Amino acid sequence: MAAQQRHPELRGEAVVIGGDAALRLPVLAASPPAAAAGVCPGQPLRQAQQLCPRAAFISVEGGDVERVRADVVAALGRLSPAVEVGGEESCCDLSGTHAVFKDEGHWAAAIARVLVETLDGGLPSIGVGSTRFVARMAALVSRPHHVRRVPTGDEAAFLAPLPLGMLPVNPAIGARLAVLGLDCLGAVANLSPVELQRQFGAEGLVLHRYCRGEDAGGLVVDTGPRRAVERVVLDGAVADLEVLRFVAHRCATDLGDQLRNRAMVAVAVTLVLELESAPALGVTAPPPLPAGNAAELWAAVLALLGEVHPSAPVTAIRLEVELRGAAGRQADLWRGGDAQREAVLVAAARLQRRYGETMLRRPRLTVDPGDLPERRFAWGSPVPGPGGAAERAPQGGRAAAADGEGLHARPSTQPAQKGKVPWSRPRVHV
Amino acid sequence: MHAKTRGRVVADTVAGLQRRYGSAAVHRGDEPDGGERASWGTGIPALDVRLAPGGLPRGRLTLIQAVRPGVSGRLTLLQALAARASREGDVVYVDVAASLDPGFLADLGADLDTCLAVLPGRGRWREGLAMARALVVAGSPWVGVALGRGRCPDAGFEAALNGLVEAVHRRRAVCVLAAPSPPAAPLAYASSLTLSCTPVGWQEVHGDITGLRLALEVTKSRLHAPGATATLLLRYPRPYATAEVVAYPAVWDSSRGDGAAPDAARSGWARSNSLRPGEGEDLPRPVRTSA
Repeated sequence: MAAQQRHPELRGEAVVIGGDAALRLPVLAASPPAAAAGVCPGQPLRQAQQLCPRAAFISVEGGDVERVRADVVAALGRLSPAVEVGGEESCCDLSGTHAVFKDEGHWAAAIARVLVETLDGGLPSIGVGSTRFVARMAALVSRPHHVRRVPTGDEAAFLAPLPLGMLPVNPAIGARLAVLGLDCLGAVANLSPVELQRQFGAEGLVLHRYCRGEDAGGLVVDTGPRRAVERVVLDGAVADLEVLRFVAHRCATDLGDQLRNRAMVAVAVTLVLELESAPALGVTAPPPLPAGNAAELWAAVLALLGEVHPSAPVTAIRLEVELRGAAGRQADLWRGGDAQREAVLVAAARLQRRYGETMLRRPRLTVDPGDLPERRFAWGSPVPGPGGAAERAPQGGRAAAADGEGLHARPSTQPAQKGKVPWSRPRVHV
Repeated sequence: MHAKTRGRVVADTVAGLQRRYGSAAVHRGDEPDGGERASWGTGIPALDVRLAPGGLPRGRLTLIQAVRPGVSGRLTLLQALAARASREGDVVYVDVAASLDPGFLADLGADLDTCLAVLPGRGRWREGLAMARALVVAGSPWVGVALGRGRCPDAGFEAALNGLVEAVHRRRAVCVLAAPSPPAAPLAYASSLTLSCTPVGWQEVHGDITGLRLALEVTKSRLHAPGATATLLLRYPRPYATAEVVAYPAVWDSSRGDGAAPDAARSGWARSNSLRPGEGEDLPRPVRTSA
């Protein structure tokens, strides 16, 4: 669909989607005329060229695919609360929403109508069934621009004549069953699940369940990107970069606090400057590492601020971040500061580099204190690892990203000491 | 007006009010500021009940100052508060007074694994406050700063203090400063809650000094009316007892046995801190409060 939208002149022609033939990359998708010539996904491109020499070979564009995928999610999301979009197929869970349309046929028509609008005339084949597996099989046997509906109770009759090759199971199992003369789903469904398990293990049970039209797998719902926006309107137009930096810092701090409270991270940061007498100026870049707090976000915003060059005084600043779940990050659950402990340690390491390692210490009681009071405790480095240097922290670039003194973040004016790395502005790859 | 336009106008208006009057002036009900508790309980009931939010305010500076030069107990009180905070979360202790004894912190019941000591050196206020600010910005929820006697702070002290105030306000951290007498003017101005420490006398048992009695008075408060007083006993660690801070009237009343146990006695503190017969006879009779 993405290729058709990019090359509308190829609509109806034989089109093969793939990478560079010289790199021996496989076919990713093929239009119906190309598929009729024998081209199928997974084939080497050279083989596809031999099978269908008149086809147009187009390389895949990740951005176009993502855009089409987001459009499909948004369109189907208007009809169903649970939508899963994969590479070649999409699933909607219509259970519990039957009050909107009176039957499955009307549902299918509504989905087709929405997809036609979204995909600019292109319509894939649609299947409607009581389970995800049945709906998928119905879509596979349906023709493009058609809807195949399997009424409830007719699943067994629908699945029985289908070939075993359509099942998403190990092809070796299908080959063994074909040797035994079992070449359709109905034949396998009549077998005992115990026998199938004895022959093929756990996959035998899965195979039997598929052949009976049962599917226990739910949808992996794609909620789409979530965004958070902070906008500050200035008192009149401002041309002073220091003021803009202060306001941007405030936006970053507020958004960073939101991220921390919601246990999320920002994977893309957009800074927009609304100008007085010119169109708004914006720049977007992903942070070096997903930003989960104000300090990390401010490092990314500071880099963006250095890249925009407003041509007119600024009237407002808008900071927008794309949110994702913060996998692997500690949230504030039981003790205050748990979520910030990592950032505090990074800040402590940076302060140690700037002021000296003896400036920040963590006391600990000694095992054998002795008689003197000063022997009751010993000083240790607050940063884990030998010496406690931030460069040895496992977070890598996070040491630079989580700048504790964000408001005064600027390259250090102190001469670099031997063995120490002065602070420098983090770089953002756009 | 369209709902989207109205929401934008409201957001702009709120942003303008916050810019003019401070971010604490207006905030949404579902923001953390609205739901989070505004105070941090000190664990000393006699002190908490006399502070309007129920403890030390979050997002503001609390100053523990000595009334007159000499022994005041402010650093011991600060370390006792830091010890209690360390049992709840991470603590940063900035020791500008160069008087920190981690063993004493441990005697007060501190969890040293959560204590981060900043040792800028005696009299280096600017460096100490700047490091405290950096750690607050990074997310430290509790910061104690011990400012000792010595030479006057240098010129950068005021800017560093302003940065710390801003960071504490943004992070809603608890920040307690212990300052000698007389406190620097910027410090007195930046403080939202000032507790003045007046030493009442040494607590002695069989000729040994076991603690210090001090009178705390709220001499400045931006949160409620000043003037509240409390008398505390800073009990020093002994071989047979740990260090602690208790309300002195509870000790006094329980030893007299007149049945008028104040709040601290009701909470069980009095049993473990009651004086032996004959002790404290030279102490002035405490003023009974209506708390």
